[in-house]
Amino acid sequence: MMRTPTSRPVFLNFARIRFPVGAVASIGHRISGVVLACSLPFVFFALDRSMGSEGEFAYLIDVLRSPFGRMALVLLAWACTHHLFAGIRHLLMDVGVGASLTMARRTAYATLGTAAAIAAAAAVFA
Amino acid sequence: MRFRIYRYDPDADSRPRMQDYELPLESTDRMVLDALVRLKEQDDSISFRRSCREGVCGSDAMNINGRNGLACVTPLKGIAEPVTLAPLPGFPVVRDLVVDMTQFFAHYHAVRPYLVNNEPLPERERLQSPEDRDKLNELYECILCACCSAFCPSYWWNPDKFIGPAGLLQAQRFIVDSRDRITAERLEFLDDVYKLYRCRTIMNCTEVCPKGLSPARAIEEIKVALVRKSV
Amino acid sequence: MRLFSGQREFLLQRLTALVMLAYLAAGALWLAFGPSVTFAQWQSWSAKPLAASALLALALALLAHAWVGIRDVVLDYVHPLRLRLAVLSGVAAGLAMLAIWVAMILIRHMVALA
Ligand code: SF4
Ligand code: SF4
Ligand code: FES
Repeated sequence: MMRTPTSRPVFLNFARIRFPVGAVASIGHRISGVVLACSLPFVFFALDRSMGSEGEFAYLIDVLRSPFGRMALVLLAWACTHHLFAGIRHLLMDVGVGASLTMARRTAYATLGTAAAIAAAAAVFA
Repeated sequence: MRFRIYRYDPDADSRPRMQDYELPLESTDRMVLDALVRLKEQDDSISFRRSCREGVCGSDAMNINGRNGLACVTPLKGIAEPVTLAPLPGFPVVRDLVVDMTQFFAHYHAVRPYLVNNEPLPERERLQSPEDRDKLNELYECILCACCSAFCPSYWWNPDKFIGPAGLLQAQRFIVDSRDRITAERLEFLDDVYKLYRCRTIMNCTEVCPKGLSPARAIEEIKVALVRKSV
Repeated sequence: MRLFSGQREFLLQRLTALVMLAYLAAGALWLAFGPSVTFAQWQSWSAKPLAASALLALALALLAHAWVGIRDVVLDYVHPLRLRLAVLSGVAAGLAMLAIWVAMILIRHMVALA
């Protein structure tokens, strides 16, 4: 299909567009997915170390306890939770559960809220 | 009441601008469109489309305070000021609030929005059971206003390849019609990473449809039909 | 077979998600009701062929799921054809390398403890 040949302006100013909660949950799903994908090398590295020796295992724990490791843990906790809940939400919607607009809005709020709560908990306890 | 309107005149402006207006409301001004019509009396250079002024023709779709809707059925009462009016997001602007709908309708035509049935013509008409007729509910009411497609992020990124919620809702309307004979062909056509699968059920479409339809649901049903077809 | 199929990836994304959900449920159940794990137990368990294969299957599901997701991101935001192909091949190569790496990790561990 052709792209309309045009030099015409297009209105797409995100500061002026009000995004419904479903759109916010959706972009969060995407961002958390990219974060998780980028974390894969580190996850595999951690897997490797965790199986090696007691010393390496302890080293791994030390890395995770460092300020940087904690920040990473909080980010990953948010990303995992958000991606998980948003994903379950979509799987259910695929089979028609919670697919009405009211339900979809509620589950979107629930997803955003749970992920934020888990991230906060991780920040406090990690 | 204060208004802020997106202005763009291709002959005079190098780029769009926002212009502020002030309009003392009268008791007859009930909908955003009423105010817009009277603003045009004030400044006759403002361009916009409208026809039926009662939510039937779908011509006055625009972005009102950040959400797409029909100006003629959006009440002024309780609306946040300044009332910001912009053209449909993601569509090429012809002038002010008027957008180019060429591509939108090209997608609509691509889904073959008509019954295809080559069986011999019956005496009077092709009958449908009341149950089969009911399957068209919440699909046939679409007025092709484009509020949905112009609020769909997936359509913003791939307006040339993704059919968009409006076109896909129409596709489903003919897929479920018991009088149509090319269901398999229709599904085959849609099994495409761009045409159908750019949709990720964000539901922005359903959020803004002025007729209360759910393109997102229709799209999910097409996906389910496609899975059924291949297992 | 089309290069960018619609339904195939759509189903792959859902199936791998379900697989990972099953692992997650099993892991959560273990954490909740199972005995706590020491390093030594984890080390010897993960070297068992069956456990290692299960871990590998999980990693592969994860990588396949990541492929569909990143592919979608690229199809949405990266439009110039050459750039898009370059990015997609880069991602595919990266994920394939990760798959080989994780397989090597698990095998090496199995051999080391055999
Ligand atoms: S589905 Fe609703 S929003 Fe979309 S074109 Fe039809 S009437 Fe307009
Ligand atoms: S549900 Fe699909 S069609 Fe509707 S706004 Fe979202 S991506 Fe677009
Ligand atoms: S003028 Fe016809 S729908 Fe608003």
